[in-house]
Amino acid sequence: MADVSSIEHPTLKVPYDVLNKKFRLAQKTLDREVCHVTSAVTELERILFTDNRSASQISSLLGGVVEKLSSFKRKAEEATQEEIESGRVVKRRVDHLKDHDSLSPSVVAEWKRTRLDRLLVEYLLRAGCYSTATKLASSRGIEGLTNLDVFLVAREVEQSLACHDTSKCLSWCHDNKSKLRKLNSSLEFNVRMQEFIELIRNDRRMDAIRHARKYFTGQEAGHLPSIQRCMALVAFPANTDVSPYKELLSNVRWDQLIEQFRAENLKLYQLSSQSAFSVVVQSGLSALKTPHCYRGATGHNPDCPVCQPSLNSLASPLPYAHCSQSRLVCHISGEQLNENNQPLMLPNGYVYGQKALQQMADENNGTIVCPRTRQTFNIRDAEKVFVM
Amino acid sequence: MDACTAVAREIEKVLSKFTSYSDHATSTITSLHSNIESLQSEIDQVGSGDITEAQAVILSQAIGRVKEAVNRLSTEHRDLHSSVSKVGKAIDKNFTADFGCISNDSVFSGDKQQLVNEVICQHFFREGLLDIAEEFISETGLELQEESREPFFELNRILAALKARDLGPALQWAEENREKLRAQNSSLEFKLHRLAYINLVKEGPHRVPQAIEYARLHFTPFVYQHEKVIQSLMGCLLYVKGGLEHSPYTDLLGSHQWSEICEVFTRDACALLGLSVDSSLAVCVNAGCTALPVLLNIKQVMQQRAVHNMWNTKEELPIEIDLGPSSRYHSIFACPILRQQSTESNPPMRLICGHVISRDALNKLTTSAKLKCPYCPVEQNPADAVQIFF
Repeated sequence: MADVSSIEHPTLKVPYDVLNKKFRLAQKTLDREVCHVTSAVTELERILFTDNRSASQISSLLGGVVEKLSSFKRKAEEATQEEIESGRVVKRRVDHLKDHDSLSPSVVAEWKRTRLDRLLVEYLLRAGCYSTATKLASSRGIEGLTNLDVFLVAREVEQSLACHDTSKCLSWCHDNKSKLRKLNSSLEFNVRMQEFIELIRNDRRMDAIRHARKYFTGQEAGHLPSIQRCMALVAFPANTDVSPYKELLSNVRWDQLIEQFRAENLKLYQLSSQSAFSVVVQSGLSALKTPHCYRGATGHNPDCPVCQPSLNSLASPLPYAHCSQSRLVCHISGEQLNENNQPLMLPNGYVYGQKALQQMADENNGTIVCPRTRQTFNIRDAEKVFVM
Repeated sequence: MDACTAVAREIEKVLSKFTSYSDHATSTITSLHSNIESLQSEIDQVGSGDITEAQAVILSQAIGRVKEAVNRLSTEHRDLHSSVSKVGKAIDKNFTADFGCISNDSVFSGDKQQLVNEVICQHFFREGLLDIAEEFISETGLELQEESREPFFELNRILAALKARDLGPALQWAEENREKLRAQNSSLEFKLHRLAYINLVKEGPHRVPQAIEYARLHFTPFVYQHEKVIQSLMGCLLYVKGGLEHSPYTDLLGSHQWSEICEVFTRDACALLGLSVDSSLAVCVNAGCTALPVLLNIKQVMQQRAVHNMWNTKEELPIEIDLGPSSRYHSIFACPILRQQSTESNPPMRLICGHVISRDALNKLTTSAKLKCPYCPVEQNPADAVQIFF
């Protein structure tokens, strides 16, 4: 499995969903226009089969057909243009992903940089840092490669819910009706329920009952207990202390709605509940984590990410990298230890690479200072070590 | 087949189908349109009377055509759906939808969120995205110590100047830190002087005296390490009149010199400040992207065999992940006998013959205070083995 296949699913699936949605919309528009044209010609046909076929009447009916045809043409062109546009978005992303195994190393390095930026943008969006995310995306010119739009729409809905306004959320529910139904989502019902509660809070009980009649009927199958509880609320004052009616009236429910909306939005686009960024960083930390990173300052390597203080504490609950074959690097130079740079042991038991020790000895008349214990030795006392 | 290619092929099919559909639809409707319009003008000529039988037949034929054509257009569009959904299927087949299963969301949530934000912020500083870092700090309310930003500001200022082909700030910095740079065996200062000299030479024959002056002033301290380079730098003066572009020294003029100096500067300055050369976050993410597919694979296998909770053991990953030699930052000793990583309680021991095995292996191989090295014929007292530190 290549690395693109494992994390890039949302990069392609989200624009594909947009394409699919556009396709359905276009089909609807076309069907409607076809219906208009057909009804216009059927009308004409009907007149043709009567005896009263005055030229002026037929001409005006023909005018109607012409008009319908030109509207058909305009709508069809608009709709297919939109489909082609959203198809191109998918294509641009695939083309970008193809660069990952380009032959030129500079292209790959740049691609990896972009990948990090893309991951960051998505993480920031999920964390609610919308303006940082937008800024980062625009400064790197990767707006088209990230799912910015999805999250910006979500932000609007979330903000309006936070202001106790349900209209945006309801219109979002309406836009994604069929998918929400497939997901068996209770979001719309919960929003309607919240509206009901708000009516009670404002002591508009009759309106509340009308609202309940309009929106709760037909929902009995899944939500009967909720509906019953809601209806009982009509009997209580808005400042009641009786449970569960007190909880129903609490403002916490709005935050729950926001959370539910967030989760449904992610599900709708098949986005994983966790950001790719955190999954990747966690696997990366695990793959790099060694016991040395946790053995105090002497074991630290400034180049090792897991030795950086913040990443170090982030990685602490994660598993270590698995290693069944010794992999030795020189503590002084960071070079690999192998037959070209043999490991040598100083009399205090510390092991370094031959090259680094030789260089140190050449500069200091044969004496070596162990960088970790500050003891001095002669290079001749260093002994060979064989690691299988 | 490659995942991207599979999806790309499907999407290209869809695009070409949509385009041809669009062309086809436009031309069909246009011809219907003009057809009906011409019929209309024909009937207009009849005036106020009734239309003839022949005209009625023509009209009803036209009606049939219109009906049939528009319905066909709608059906043709509907048929495109199979191509569209093939794209979705190709994506689902070739890309993993759920990668969240191998991670633990509690690791990065709660208090840890703050740490993640810190890491991201440092990364932004590191990459010179100062305005984005500021935005991020204000949006998350992150508290960072002032001194953790300072070095980045300075580095980024100098790098920005270098990218704008201004050597001044970098030279000043290199002179201020000359001793430390020399201890690091860095040739940054010389390389900067070299570029400044080349710039003078580039300007043409009238600047040659200044160039020589500059070389005398700045090259002499470096003659021991960089004699060859200095020779070639002075040699190029011979060709200034004829233009360096046509001389053997033409590669001195290349613009790669500037990208190279930026790299050298970043590397040496980071080493001097005790920072890693690459952003730790970038290293980490690249490692993660290599590790993730392997982990997903093994997860699948483990699930099939009903082995659970690979992440709850918190000990080690279930499989070795090779990140390449450049990502090895620490020595890891795995005992060749027990095939286990060494630990505090089971450290590596060097036998007197030089072979290294873990202490547990040593104890297991010892019989009646005698140990034969598993790799060579030497027999020894196990007490003679010494613990070593990599």
